[in-house]
Amino acid sequence: MLACLVASGCAPTPARVETPRIEALDKSYAVELPTGWIRQYTAEKNLIASRDGFLLQTIALVRRPLKEAFPRTKKVATTGMLPSELAELEIAELKLRGELTAALTVLENEPAALSGKEGFRVKVAYNNARGLEFNEVVYGVADESSMYRVTYRAPKLYYFDRYYPDFERAVQSFTLTKGKS
Amino acid sequence: MIGWRRLALPAAAALIVGVAVAATRVAPFTSGSTAAPASEAERRVWSQADELNHIMERGNVAYADAPLAAYVQGVMDRLFPEFRGVIRVTLLKSPQLNAFAVADGHIYVNIGLLARFQNEAQLATVLAHEGTHFTHRHGYLGQQSLKDSAALATFGGMLGVPVLPQLIAATSMFGFSRELETEADQVGFQRLLQAAYDVREAPRVFEHLLREVQSEEIQEPYFFATHPKLKDRIDNMTRLSSRAVGGGDGNDRAAYARTVQQARLDNLENMLSMGRAKQALLMLEDAQHAAELPPHAPYYLGEAYRLRGQPGDLYRAEAAYRRAIEAAADFAPSHRALGMVLLKTNRHGEAATSFERYLALAPEAKDRKYVESYLRAAKQQGESR
Repeated sequence: MLACLVASGCAPTPARVETPRIEALDKSYAVELPTGWIRQYTAEKNLIASRDGFLLQTIALVRRPLKEAFPRTKKVATTGMLPSELAELEIAELKLRGELTAALTVLENEPAALSGKEGFRVKVAYNNARGLEFNEVVYGVADESSMYRVTYRAPKLYYFDRYYPDFERAVQSFTLTKGKS
Repeated sequence: MIGWRRLALPAAAALIVGVAVAATRVAPFTSGSTAAPASEAERRVWSQADELNHIMERGNVAYADAPLAAYVQGVMDRLFPEFRGVIRVTLLKSPQLNAFAVADGHIYVNIGLLARFQNEAQLATVLAHEGTHFTHRHGYLGQQSLKDSAALATFGGMLGVPVLPQLIAATSMFGFSRELETEADQVGFQRLLQAAYDVREAPRVFEHLLREVQSEEIQEPYFFATHPKLKDRIDNMTRLSSRAVGGGDGNDRAAYARTVQQARLDNLENMLSMGRAKQALLMLEDAQHAAELPPHAPYYLGEAYRLRGQPGDLYRAEAAYRRAIEAAADFAPSHRALGMVLLKTNRHGEAATSFERYLALAPEAKDRKYVESYLRAAKQQGESR
């Protein structure tokens, strides 16, 4: 996702969050993001936001069809999956993201609601190539057609805790809507 | 590099074929005291290797088991006694069947490799091969053959798992040329002989690799396009070992199993946590290998079936969990896993009993909240029937 941002011309122009409530491009969900942050839709029509820069803190909202929910492991999400099974696949997906996340540590893994649906909340830690520790929290839930993730990623040093409450407010405001196109 | 990396694009093979050019030969190092870069170009390669070593250190990817690391280093020192203190082995957490050498004498060995070998002689085969990459300066020679290639820049995007550019630069981790790999096989084989290892075990290393490739359903040729093909390497090693005088040691399977037992379990957990069920099944369906694992090992077999998810796998998983409970009733995860199968197949009363047993055995479990919610669901659904 970040690579896409770096590459010119593959994403719409970023905009400042003026009014908190924002809808997905396909109207599948709505969320309230922190005002003053910069938001952007990616080429895959996912919504990302940051206050100081995407390497310093990122909130990302991603919707994928169930069949493509876990592209790295090529596993399929189904509505019959238990929340811990979805979380298990999410962790595998994170581990396959790169050589350093492959060695990640799962700090927390628990059931959590997203838009009133039973899902999971996973918190992991990993170091980047310079030895800087990152923390990442993923909330995930599946409905009849899609898997939704709301993710927050930031360096543990200074940034993660400082902006975590903003992320939690976004999670609490996340609402699945019926307006998928 | 002894192992392989899955390439995302078949076209990778063609690109790699295209980059092999004749390298300027340099004399091998003869001992640790002679091991130093001899030119500015070689110094740059060592510098990249140093950067990689720092990344590995800072990335927290090393497998922390000091006795096991000392054991593996001991095998390396037995193979290369004149390089003691210069060739340094680091174990990595990765479950992939892989090991690689960097130009300055650091050798990285995944615990996935340790876990799947059957004895020390097989491990020694890999270490002899990787050590030769260092003593014969293949890191530098490999760079020489790759440095002018535009293909190098595109390699990072062709992996199933993204790879750090430094890793590519420092290790030529897409493999050395066919010529250099063959040299590492042949010189490594001589090292095995000199260190009095049972060289009949050498071909089996490549048989493991071949099974791995087949389990991942990768069609040859891909990475091995620039290398002696796996079957050819098995044939070459078999030929070399058949000519060698018998004897040698390092083939005590039970002793090796004791040494690597914890690494095998950690590797299984890691492999399953990455969704690599087929690779796990390769080991767990091998009766001899499974017999070397602790009594609760059928739990991992059950997990592998569940994650593979082929028709009938849920019932295979249930049978495996029950075997695990029969053999090691106090191993908590088997009860949780069985409970989840029972819950999904609407046997709510039994599921509740399994979850209660799990929570009693593992009161501090990280996944306690999940299991408590499943227990509530099982009880509610059981009552509503």
